[in-house]
Amino acid sequence: MWDWSVVWDYRELFVRGFFNTILLTSTGVAFGLLIGLFVGLGKLSKNWFVRIPSSIYIDVFRGTPLFVQILLIHFAVIPSIFDALNLETPPAIFSGFVALSLNSGAYIAEIFRSGIQSIDRGQMEAARSLGMNHKQAMYHVIIPQAFKRILPPLGNEFIALLKDSSLLAVIAVNELAYAGFTTAKSTFVRFPPYLSIAVLYLFLTLIFSQVVFWLERRYKTD
Amino acid sequence: MNIKKLFMSGVIALSISALVGCGAAKDEAQQPVASDEKAGAEQTITYKVGTEAGFPPFMWMEGTEVVGFEADLLKAIAEAGGFQVNLQNTGWDPLFDGIDKGKIDLGIAGITITDKRKETYDFSDPYFDAKQLILVPKDSTVSKLDDLEGKKIGVQSATTGEAVVQDKFGKTYEGIKGYDDIPAAVDDLLNGRLDAVVADNAVVKKYLEKIGDQDFKLIDDTSFELEQYGLIVKKGNQEVLDKVNVGLKAIKENGKYQEIYNNYFSE
Repeated sequence: MWDWSVVWDYRELFVRGFFNTILLTSTGVAFGLLIGLFVGLGKLSKNWFVRIPSSIYIDVFRGTPLFVQILLIHFAVIPSIFDALNLETPPAIFSGFVALSLNSGAYIAEIFRSGIQSIDRGQMEAARSLGMNHKQAMYHVIIPQAFKRILPPLGNEFIALLKDSSLLAVIAVNELAYAGFTTAKSTFVRFPPYLSIAVLYLFLTLIFSQVVFWLERRYKTD
Repeated sequence: MNIKKLFMSGVIALSISALVGCGAAKDEAQQPVASDEKAGAEQTITYKVGTEAGFPPFMWMEGTEVVGFEADLLKAIAEAGGFQVNLQNTGWDPLFDGIDKGKIDLGIAGITITDKRKETYDFSDPYFDAKQLILVPKDSTVSKLDDLEGKKIGVQSATTGEAVVQDKFGKTYEGIKGYDDIPAAVDDLLNGRLDAVVADNAVVKKYLEKIGDQDFKLIDDTSFELEQYGLIVKKGNQEVLDKVNVGLKAIKENGKYQEIYNNYFSE
């Protein structure tokens, strides 16, 4: 039951899993931020042509389980798109990256929206009265202030996504959870592999929360 | 702050009651269902049996019922061995875990008898002979396991298919893709993400029959050993094992086994 040698035997899976987890989570959050910023602003737009698709996107990706999104994207969406384009189907890790980006995009959009809406109306009015147009006021006044407020929830989202990336094991992406499952299933030894990945996940989340903490202090105004 | 606390305690109370509710419901569901004629007359023991119902034609779910070759076989063995069964779709890993912890008495899920598994579990007499096959696209140049070097190979995690590929190319070979079930691996082969799938003959054949795809071919590598499936019990659980073996022997002798076999594996 406590045979730690199995983790050593399968160490390559754990090392590969560790780096793939970092890679998947950071690219997922990076593209999620990009999607989130546009969709979040889109949901605040006065133009219904932009607002309604943004709302639908958020509702769909927040309203369905990431697990189901991964399966749909991997087995249905990506194969049919690449088939239609007559391209070779990309490996599972690509499906994982798409699923994580789209999912975190929806959550981050709501984080951006709430951050922007939390800035006092007077800030926009003051900026506009100084002669800035709406875009300039957003870019120079509102978003920088909002960014400070959204740092903590953004850190939360990153940590949540890091842990949720474990769901990608189901499509045989060699991330951390896959390393744990494969080792446990092949050797019938459960505690050491599962405990190992738990410690590695914890290590990653602790480091990341320190980074967020440091950023928060850096951007503190008062 | 107070409102937050009040809300949180409400959430906690709700989740606890939900959990308790689930537990109670499960207990009820696990009550053995006594067969109508025998009820009251004589007390037969009911064993909890775990399976992984994603393995047609051996075991799969039809609606809420577990059906298949193994489900029928289990019923016949139980009848001949003089016990009753409560078959549940536990899933592969929880099945072994349940047996370790004594929550499940018996496991039947296309489990190949291996020396490694014999260290941890006791096996019944074999009830099925299986063989690994390599599934590749029709235009593939692969003709044996050796040809798969450097290629992406789909397997079902923790099955013999995975073991033969691991033995050949190394335990942590990057090209091994371990899936939860064979249909997912075959789908990825169909999508072009894999170069081959290595799995048990009966399962692969059944799935191909179901999807009716003709773009595949099956390769029978003669170096693969013949494997036998057995039911498993916790190591040392001789009582259950003896009853199973008696039942299995009886149905093999009276032709019932062959009858069930023909239902599922008529060539």
